[in-house]
Amino acid sequence: MNNFLAPIVSVLAGGALASAGLVGLISSQTSAPEQSPANAEAPAWDYGATE
Amino acid sequence: MGDTLRCLTVQAGAKGVAVRLVPWLWSAALAAVILGPALGPGYVLSYDMVWVPDLGLGRDALGVGSALPRTVPSDAFVAVLDEVVPGMVLQKLVLLAALVVAGAGAARLVGSRSLAVQVVAATCMVWNPFVAERLVIGHWPVLLGYAVVPWLLLLAGRWDVGSRMPVALPLLLVVGSLSASTGLATAVALVAAGARRDVRRWLLLGALLLAANAPWLVAGLAHAAAATSSAAAAEVYATSGEGWLPGPLAALGLGGIWNAQVVPGTRAGFLAVVALVVWVVAAVIGLRRGSAGIAPAAWRAAVTCWVLGYGVAVLGWAVPGVMGWLAASVPGGGVLRDSSRLLALTAPLVVVLVARGAGVVLDLVRDRGSRRVTAAVLVAVPILCLPDAGWGIRGQLRPIDYPQDLLDVRAASRAVPPGDLAVLPFSSYRVPRWNHGHPVVNPLPRLVDRDAVVNDELLIDGRTHPGEDPRARAVGEALALPTARARTEALLRIGVSGVVIEQFEGWDEPAFVGDALLANDLVTVIALEGRAGGQGHDARVEGAMPAAWVAWLVLIAGGATQNVIHVIRRMILRRRATAG
Repeated sequence: MNNFLAPIVSVLAGGALASAGLVGLISSQTSAPEQSPANAEAPAWDYGATE
Repeated sequence: MGDTLRCLTVQAGAKGVAVRLVPWLWSAALAAVILGPALGPGYVLSYDMVWVPDLGLGRDALGVGSALPRTVPSDAFVAVLDEVVPGMVLQKLVLLAALVVAGAGAARLVGSRSLAVQVVAATCMVWNPFVAERLVIGHWPVLLGYAVVPWLLLLAGRWDVGSRMPVALPLLLVVGSLSASTGLATAVALVAAGARRDVRRWLLLGALLLAANAPWLVAGLAHAAAATSSAAAAEVYATSGEGWLPGPLAALGLGGIWNAQVVPGTRAGFLAVVALVVWVVAAVIGLRRGSAGIAPAAWRAAVTCWVLGYGVAVLGWAVPGVMGWLAASVPGGGVLRDSSRLLALTAPLVVVLVARGAGVVLDLVRDRGSRRVTAAVLVAVPILCLPDAGWGIRGQLRPIDYPQDLLDVRAASRAVPPGDLAVLPFSSYRVPRWNHGHPVVNPLPRLVDRDAVVNDELLIDGRTHPGEDPRARAVGEALALPTARARTEALLRIGVSGVVIEQFEGWDEPAFVGDALLANDLVTVIALEGRAGGQGHDARVEGAMPAAWVAWLVLIAGGATQNVIHVIRRMILRRRATAG
């Protein structure tokens, strides 16, 4: 039984970790930094945030 | 026998003075802890708070520019005073004075002989979310108004019909009216405390308020056509919830500012709920003392101020659309859009009730030693409920030295031919590395020795809210033109003769036709090639403003003279009493 379950658990855990890592990486690379120019042509910075 | 009596009287008098000084000294100590690093060398730049070495008295500061008079008369006040006291020192004095005067005013207003109760009142007035949040967002005129309100209630509350006007009143009104919204709060406090059933009193109050608020009032009326603001922006500025507390509950504990970035971290957690429960329970207990020890007119005024201040703050939260309509439809209606500013009016009653509640608890303790320990705990509670208000609001208020490259702009800007300057990137805010990466209003328009057109659009939550200044719109349109020649000619046509360009990584600065007068690592100053047209000065504004400034100056001069005469008279009386 153990020989049967171990690979499945490993694949699921590994898959979950990889997915979380990938989502985190993409999110950190694509979301705008908190205080950065809105775009390169006309930089503007947030005066504040309501949330 | 006589000598002994005199000696005892002098000793008692000295002790009385020492006791009266305690709330002032305690407030000063709290202010020093709150401001912390901000009191060190350098300028503290945070959101709307920009101080520079030498602020010029430009057209916008005098209310005759094309922008709405948001910094009238506060900029003129600073521009004149920094000729006497260096800007860096003046900023620290103003911030310290606001907190110390507020604390001492609350201690006096509480109407208790107990020093512990006075110190609790001072602590609550100085160490609370309103002070912390307005310090970070840089609303120093609002904090001065906040400091003035308890003193107005005290002095105007005791000002009986037929008696002399309190000598400090004119100067308090001037200090409490350095911007439109704080002028409004100050006016409410004065009328609530000083109005009596007497026509002459009403006329006098009206004249005092008109003179104290004349600069922004007249400039605002002269800009009436453009003095309506975006409805959507009014909704953004509404009183806001903090962490677990919805807007009305946050406002009850003097919090609720719209900008979540300036809210101390503990306000988002359980501690804010604990603080509110403690304050409300103490205030309810304090109600048992009624108005004992407080002049009836001052008590009624404190209640009126609370109802109006809290009412507007909650209205802003509950029906932001109405505030938006007001800002968009009624000239000057935008004054109320940051509705939680008026919570300054609620602070005196809240603080008095909480401190009186602490007094009731203290009275339950009979043993002298236990009483001292209880008093120390009661004083510490407001501080423990908001621990991150200390040390420059947990390091958010840190001084900087302006980079020399930026300071060099001042001399270079003087060589630009007649006309205004445009400062690029054309956006109102910056997050400079040299300011510890902290947001601040673009300081360059204040650093240059010329009038500069400032973009008054605001970016909040990534969304742009339009400004009101027609010249700023025209400059924005000129900058959007495709070629250097077209941009240059369009700017010259609207009276802009030079551009100051800040360098930012990843931004390709637009080109212009002209001579570079300065080019360093941070800034380029270009004198545009050609003659600038007229700046489109408004004759109505220029005609009306001198009268407004004269009225304001007369109030200051009259107030100062009254105070000098008062001090001299007291000195003479004291000398006569000592001689007798």
